[in-house]
Amino acid sequence: MKSTGQSKLSMSKVFVTGMGTISSLGRTVEENRTSLREGISGIGRLENFNSKYAGVLPFAEVKLGTESLKEYLSISDRGVTRTSLLALHACLEALDDSGLSREEVQSHRTAFIGANTVGGMCLTDELYSDANRTKDASPFIASYDAGSVSIFVQEQLIIRGISNTINTACSSSANVIMFGCRLIKNGLADRVIVGGVDSLAKFTINGFNSLHILSPEPCTPFDNDRKGLNLGEAAAFLILEKEELVRNKNVYAEVSGYANANDAFHPSSLSEEGEGPYKSMIEAIMIAGLLPRQIDYINVHGTATENNDRVESRAMIKLFVDVPEFSSTKSNTGHTLGAAGALESVFSILSLYHGELYPHLRFNAPISETGLVPVKEYKKTTLSHVMSNSFGFGGNCSSLVFSKV
Amino acid sequence: MSCISPQQTFGEINLEELKVSSGNMLHAIEPSYKGIPPGQLRRMGKAVRLGVGAALPLMDEAAELDGIIIGTANGGMEDCIKFLNQIIEYDEGTLTPTNFVQSTSNAIAAQIAFMNSNKGYNITHVHRGLSFENALLDALMHSMEHPEKKYLLGGLDEISNYNFNIDFLIGCFKKEFTANDNLYGHDSDGTIAGEGAAMFIISGDSSNALAAVRSIKTLHSWDPDDIRKGLNDFLQEADINIDKIDLLISGENGDKRYTKYSNIVEENISYTIPVIRYKHAVGEFPSATAIAVWLAVHFLNSGRVPGHMQKNGKVEKLPDSILIYNCYQGLQHSFILIQRAG
Repeated sequence: MKSTGQSKLSMSKVFVTGMGTISSLGRTVEENRTSLREGISGIGRLENFNSKYAGVLPFAEVKLGTESLKEYLSISDRGVTRTSLLALHACLEALDDSGLSREEVQSHRTAFIGANTVGGMCLTDELYSDANRTKDASPFIASYDAGSVSIFVQEQLIIRGISNTINTACSSSANVIMFGCRLIKNGLADRVIVGGVDSLAKFTINGFNSLHILSPEPCTPFDNDRKGLNLGEAAAFLILEKEELVRNKNVYAEVSGYANANDAFHPSSLSEEGEGPYKSMIEAIMIAGLLPRQIDYINVHGTATENNDRVESRAMIKLFVDVPEFSSTKSNTGHTLGAAGALESVFSILSLYHGELYPHLRFNAPISETGLVPVKEYKKTTLSHVMSNSFGFGGNCSSLVFSKV
Repeated sequence: MSCISPQQTFGEINLEELKVSSGNMLHAIEPSYKGIPPGQLRRMGKAVRLGVGAALPLMDEAAELDGIIIGTANGGMEDCIKFLNQIIEYDEGTLTPTNFVQSTSNAIAAQIAFMNSNKGYNITHVHRGLSFENALLDALMHSMEHPEKKYLLGGLDEISNYNFNIDFLIGCFKKEFTANDNLYGHDSDGTIAGEGAAMFIISGDSSNALAAVRSIKTLHSWDPDDIRKGLNDFLQEADINIDKIDLLISGENGDKRYTKYSNIVEENISYTIPVIRYKHAVGEFPSATAIAVWLAVHFLNSGRVPGHMQKNGKVEKLPDSILIYNCYQGLQHSFILIQRAG
C-alpha cells in the first residue's frame, strides 16, 4: 500500500529538558548520580516479595514498598501495580524538572510513549488466579498487559496527544526514545514524555533463571570471569522537546542519533559477529552526522552474560579504531529490562552534562579475546557525544547518541 | 496484503458466505502453513504462527524489506501464562525456557526477521486497543522519512483461554450464548471474542499500490463529545470534505455500552453513506483494526461488499474513500482514512 501520511518532516532538533529516575541507586536523578559517582552498587537482597531465589541470588531492588509508593503518590486505587507506580514516580520528577506547565502537559501536541516488558505480571498469584479463572476477578484484572502501565500514567497526567507502548524486550525504552524523536521530527508532536519501567517479578526471575543466565554473585560486566546478569527494577523518564519551543530552558542534551536493527540470528542470544549491534551503532552515529571517532563514551548494554559482552566487544572493536571510554552501569543497577534503555540514557546524559565518568564496578580482568577495559575510576572529562546501547531478546538492537548543546 | 481470520480471507477469498460461530469465540481458520519448516511450526505459539503465516505470502513478494513493524496487545500471552503456570505448579523449580522466550510480544516480529534474515528496523507496539494504530503510524512516519523503502506492517492477536478468561472477568464478552450472525441483535453488555492477523507492505512509492493510507488519528477518552470533536479534527487534518467519504467501516461490536460512540460517528458523517460492520465476522480483539484496513483495501480493489456486513444503505458504487472508526472498550478510539491509490 502507498502511504500519504499527513506528517511533515522537519529538521527540528530534539532536546532533553527533564529527567526522572527511581532505581536501586535512589529515588531521584540526583540520588542516582551521587550513587554512580561514589561507586555504590544497588545490587543486594530481594526483600519486597517472597521468591525461592530471594536468599540465593542477588537483585537490585527499589527499597520502597508498593504501599509506600502509593502513599507517596497519593494513589488509592487498589488495582494499580508496582510497575505503574514506579513509572508515575519517575514521570512526575521528569515533568517537574522540565518545568512544563499543566497546559503544556495536557496539550494535544504532547505525546506519551512508554515501555515495559513485565506490565502487571509482577502479581504472579493474582494473574495465575485471573488467567485460570480459579476465583472471582482480582482488583488487578485490567492491569496485566504492558499497555496498562502507560494507560495509567497517561490518565494521571491527562495526556491528550499520541500515546503508545513499545515492547522490544530489553531494548524497549531505547526504542521509545527513538519513536518520540521521530514524532517530533515528523511534526506529530511538540514534546514527548518518553521512558521505561519494569519491576522485579517472579516471572522474569524464573524466566532468566531457566535460561541459566542469572549470576549467583553481583554481576561483573565485560570481565573475563563474568557469571551472568542480575535483575533489577527501575523507572526512568525523559522529556523531549522540539528545539524551537525550548527557549531559555535548561537543556541536558540533544538526541542526535538513533537506530534500530535486528540481529536476525536467535531468539535469546546474539550472533557471534554481532551484526545487529554493529548495525545499530553505526547507523545511530550516521544519523547524528558523526564519525565513529567522535563518540567520547559508550554506556554499553553490558549485561555480564557470556554471549552479550563478547559479541558487544567484537562489534565495538569492528566499528571503532580506538574503542572509546565505556562502562556498564548494570554493575550498579542490575539489568532493569524495559527500563534499561531509558535509565542508561539518563546516566549517559548525566555524564555528558556534568563532564564526568562513573566507575564500572567489580572489574578484574578483561575478556582475553578482546582485551577491552572499562572506566574504573570516577573522573572529570570533557564529553561532546555519548552513545547508549540496548540489545534485547528477539535480536532487537538499538543505539542512541546524545550530544552536548 | 494478506490476512488470516475466522473468515475465508487467506488464499481463495470468500467473504460472502459468513462462517457462523458455535459460541462466543471466533477462532481463526488456520492455513496449512506451507513454507514453515514443521519442526519450527510445532514450537511456535499461536500468535507467532498467525503472524508468520500471514506474513509469508508477502515475504515472497518483497524480497528486500527494510523493516518489520508489528502491533499486538496479547502476542505471546498464551506462552506467558503457560510459563506462569509452571512457576506456580512447580513452585519456582526447574523450568523450561521455551514458553518464557516466546512470551515476549516481540517474538512475532523477531521470528519473521529470523526466517527472512531481515536485519532492518524491527519493532512491536503493544498499546492495547491502539497497538495496530501505533504500528501504522510508525510505518507512515517511515514512508515519509524514506519514501523509497518498503516495510512489513502487521496487526494480530490470538485468543488463548487465558486472555479470554481475563477479558471475560473484565466484562468484555457477553455472558449469554451469542451466535455471530445475530451479534447486533443482542441488546446486552459485552461482545464476542475473535482473533486474526493482517499484514501489509507499506511504502512511500505509489507504483502498483493497492490503496493509499491517507491519515490516522487516535484518541483516549470516555467522553462521546471528544469523539465528535476528534472526527472533525481528523477530517480537517486529512484535508478531506465530509461528502467525499463514501463508506464507513465501523467497529461496532454489539456491546450496548459503546454503541453511543459509533452512533456519533455515523450521525456526523451522513445518513446516506453505507455503513459496514465486521466484528460479527472476526470477533473483537485489540488489533482488529488491522482486519478493517485489510477489508477497506479489499473493497476498494474488488468492489464487492458482502451483504452480511452492510448495516444500512446498499453499497451501489465503488468506493473511493473509506473511513474506518474503531472504539476499543469505550476508551481507545481511532480514525483511519483509506483511499483509492493514485
